Amino acid sequence: MSLASVFTARLRGLFSRKRLDRELNEEVRFHLEMQIEENLKSGMHQEEARFAALRSFGAIEPMKEAYRERSGFALLETTMQDIRYALRTLRRSPGFTTTSVAVLALAIGANTAMFSVLNAVLLRPLPYRSPEQLAMLWTEIPNRSVREGRSAYQNVEQWRSQSESFADMAVFDPASVTLTSATEAEQISVARVSPNLLPLLGVQLLQGRCFTAEEAEQRQRVALISHRFWQARFGGSREAIGALLELDGVPSRIIGILPGDFQFVDSDVWEPHTMSPDWGAYHGVRGGAAWFVVGRLRPNTTFDRAQAEMSAIARRLDEQLPAGERNRGISVVPLSLQLTGPRPRLALWMLAGAVFCVLLIAATNVAGLSLARSASREREIAIRAALGASHARIARQLLAESVTLAVLAGSLGLLAAQAGIRLILGAKPAGLARLNEVSLDSRVLSWALGLCLLTGVLVGLMPAISLARRSARFSGLEGGRGVSGGAAARGMRRALVVTEFALAIVLLTGAGLLIRSLWSVENVDPGFKAERVLSAQLSSFALRGSAQRADFYNRVLEQVQSLPGVESAGIIGDLFIGGNPERIVTAEGDARSAAERLRFRSDEISGGFFKAVGTPLLRGRFFSAADGPDSPPVAIINDAMARRLWRGQDAVGKRFKPGATDSGTPWFTVVGVVGDMRRQGLENEPIPQMFEPLAQNPSRLATLLVRTSMDDPLKMTGAVRAAVRRVEKHAPVYGVTTLEHRLGIFLAQRRFQTSLLIAFSVVALLMAAIGIYGLIQYSITTRTQEIGIRLAVGAQTGDIFRMIIREGLKLSLTGLLPGLVGALWLSQAGSSLLFGVSATDPLTFVGVSLLLTIVAMAACFFPARRAMRVEPVAALRQE
Amino acid sequence: MKTGRADKADVLQGTLILLVLRTLEALGPMHGYGIARRIEQISKDVLQLNQGTLYPALLRMEQEGWIASKWGASEKNRKARFYSITAGGRRRLAKETEDWRRMSSTIERFLGFDPSSLAEERG
Repeated sequence: MSLASVFTARLRGLFSRKRLDRELNEEVRFHLEMQIEENLKSGMHQEEARFAALRSFGAIEPMKEAYRERSGFALLETTMQDIRYALRTLRRSPGFTTTSVAVLALAIGANTAMFSVLNAVLLRPLPYRSPEQLAMLWTEIPNRSVREGRSAYQNVEQWRSQSESFADMAVFDPASVTLTSATEAEQISVARVSPNLLPLLGVQLLQGRCFTAEEAEQRQRVALISHRFWQARFGGSREAIGALLELDGVPSRIIGILPGDFQFVDSDVWEPHTMSPDWGAYHGVRGGAAWFVVGRLRPNTTFDRAQAEMSAIARRLDEQLPAGERNRGISVVPLSLQLTGPRPRLALWMLAGAVFCVLLIAATNVAGLSLARSASREREIAIRAALGASHARIARQLLAESVTLAVLAGSLGLLAAQAGIRLILGAKPAGLARLNEVSLDSRVLSWALGLCLLTGVLVGLMPAISLARRSARFSGLEGGRGVSGGAAARGMRRALVVTEFALAIVLLTGAGLLIRSLWSVENVDPGFKAERVLSAQLSSFALRGSAQRADFYNRVLEQVQSLPGVESAGIIGDLFIGGNPERIVTAEGDARSAAERLRFRSDEISGGFFKAVGTPLLRGRFFSAADGPDSPPVAIINDAMARRLWRGQDAVGKRFKPGATDSGTPWFTVVGVVGDMRRQGLENEPIPQMFEPLAQNPSRLATLLVRTSMDDPLKMTGAVRAAVRRVEKHAPVYGVTTLEHRLGIFLAQRRFQTSLLIAFSVVALLMAAIGIYGLIQYSITTRTQEIGIRLAVGAQTGDIFRMIIREGLKLSLTGLLPGLVGALWLSQAGSSLLFGVSATDPLTFVGVSLLLTIVAMAACFFPARRAMRVEPVAALRQE
Repeated sequence: MKTGRADKADVLQGTLILLVLRTLEALGPMHGYGIARRIEQISKDVLQLNQGTLYPALLRMEQEGWIASKWGASEKNRKARFYSITAGGRRRLAKETEDWRRMSSTIERFLGFDPSSLAEERG
């Protein structure tokens, strides 16, 4: 076990350096004294005895070196030495140190924050049992270019029984219901899931139990609640189990509570899938597609094999479908790819890349500063080389300096990262799952450390190489700046500045394209006029019977419309909607009725709704008082639906019904066609919509929209509340806000991304400008003699000025080309994030190039002016 | 920077351990100078080592646990570090001695063999 004892001995030696050195010196001194005495005894003189003793001992210093190397861990010790020395030298140049640390801390901090988001959202494995076995199954309809369509329950049952690659499949559908209590009503999210979903994911309930297959079959009203809901509603008390929740007017019993770290769909309440209101009508039909499907593969089955099997099953099932519904496929997507959609994923990677660019620019800048500083250290390095330091040793010491700088910056950067994370979470970017898991965990911290090392190496590499090379020429000892040395350093700095420019162009182009996209989105016509409209939620749960509800709404509208300052008012279920399942619609054509499958939205509205929101009437008429509960069912449809069902014809007067021809739903007569409204966000095309009169089918939950004449509609809140109270004393009014605010939420994420990128580009531009300023300045200082000579032989000051400006121009143009190429590639890669602007938009590219060139010129301006003022005589005399 | 006598030093390093251990075993605890002088004396000045190279070797031997050191007083009452052999050192010495003996007898056989006898064996 001598290896262990040697190791321990060396470890101890690491900490007793001083003592070991002292003791060795004493031993050597003793040895030499004894030898000298011996020599004196054998008759030598004093001097002779000493020389002889030293000779027989051998070279002392190398022996001490060998001894030292053996007694500890040489590499570690020299590195510690380098770090201590680095800290001293950094302290000696406070200006450089503070600037560099600040710049790098921000860059490293931003990168760490970004990586922690990336880590939580994309990199960490999903919190389920064996998550790599989980996949989503989608229905594909190629001729309708539907790649990820919801599936029909009948189909899923077939898939489940026929598939061998999947151990189990479960369905789920996120929806929303109204939760009512004695005093208030609230819209909450509910997930309707098959009983095997939670076991499939491998989730253990915190308390209670999941509903069984029998309970689901019997449509028993049982439910599970999420952890968050449990804390908010019940304060985490045990009495939650067994309590009743009134959902859509009917009570359900809570039988279980989900754990706090569970994430799947973000729903408060979980019900059996049979609770879906369409269950009776649609589950028997293979057509109605309403379900999301998740499956667990059997062990040792690959996704490819599962996909092949499911495609074959799809083809088999296809043959049993009626002709119009054929050609459906099944698409298997691993769950990890599904949880964060491709667009948010892309946006995340792009932002991460952008912030990394900023780090590169920052490192480049600091490297340039470092190079400039290194020029004044030539003497020191030359002395070291003369004393016997190898190139490698010198380079190691310089790298230690830059890495120390980077690690210092990194530690500060962690604070910046915390702030950055809080900022990102505060913006609540939508479409990113698992955002609440963002934290500075061990993986993020080790990544941050790696980043520090990388930055340190990047920053220190150039000065280390250039200095180590120059040290061989001892030019520093002579005190002058060797011309060749200056040129090499200048070449490096030039390369650095060009890189900064290229990176800045990439960032600026990205920002420019995003700005234009944002502008396009903001200018999209939503199909209604959102200004000065107040939005409030009403609930009529307390009232039984549609007649009473219709009456309630009418009276509320009456009261509100009579208020001063109100131009018009209307009622709809909800103006903003999420995804919609596909349903069958039968439309009466000229020859016969044709059944279509489309995704459409159905709402109940008051007569004055379109007037209140400002949607134009294209044909026909709005609803009137004549369209009551006893009159024949009428509907208003939007342009998209009209074009879909009766292309090229006048839809007014035609009839259609939701459902198949033989289903029990009534035939609606179209009385009017209105303009399309974008209700799924500004970037999504409007879907077909139908509207029924509120009188014929009043919903329990409604949004009241009040168009006011005031700039701030919220001022009417009190009056509107009072008006509703006059109609029904206890009717709840909640969620009062403006329509503009609700519309603005769709813009929030895009605004956030764009402002981030703008911030990055501005920083990049500033740094590039500083870089070029510093470089031109340095260049002039080294060329003072040359300028003096030029002036002396007859050049005008204007010529000098132009010469300097030309140099700056050449630099920026050199950086322009690779930058534009990089920007082009990046914009193509990220084109799905753009809206209303092409990835090769010439305006943006040209604009960015011009901007950067102007900035470069401006940065050269002052140094050039200073160059003009050089005194030829003084310059010539300068050494 | 190595000295010019690189080859001699290498050969010596390997056997130096053997020499030091034997010296300490035979003559008891000694300081570094004493060990160096004894080695020179016993070898009748044939082995002229750079006395300095002794110290890194002594350090290594102490790290391996073959010798132990202690600060004490020399004959003239001067402060000196004394080295003594340990149990592990004795074991090492035994092993090194065995190895050396085996190698030197093999070389002996090579040096002393009779070419004619080899011819006989082949036949």
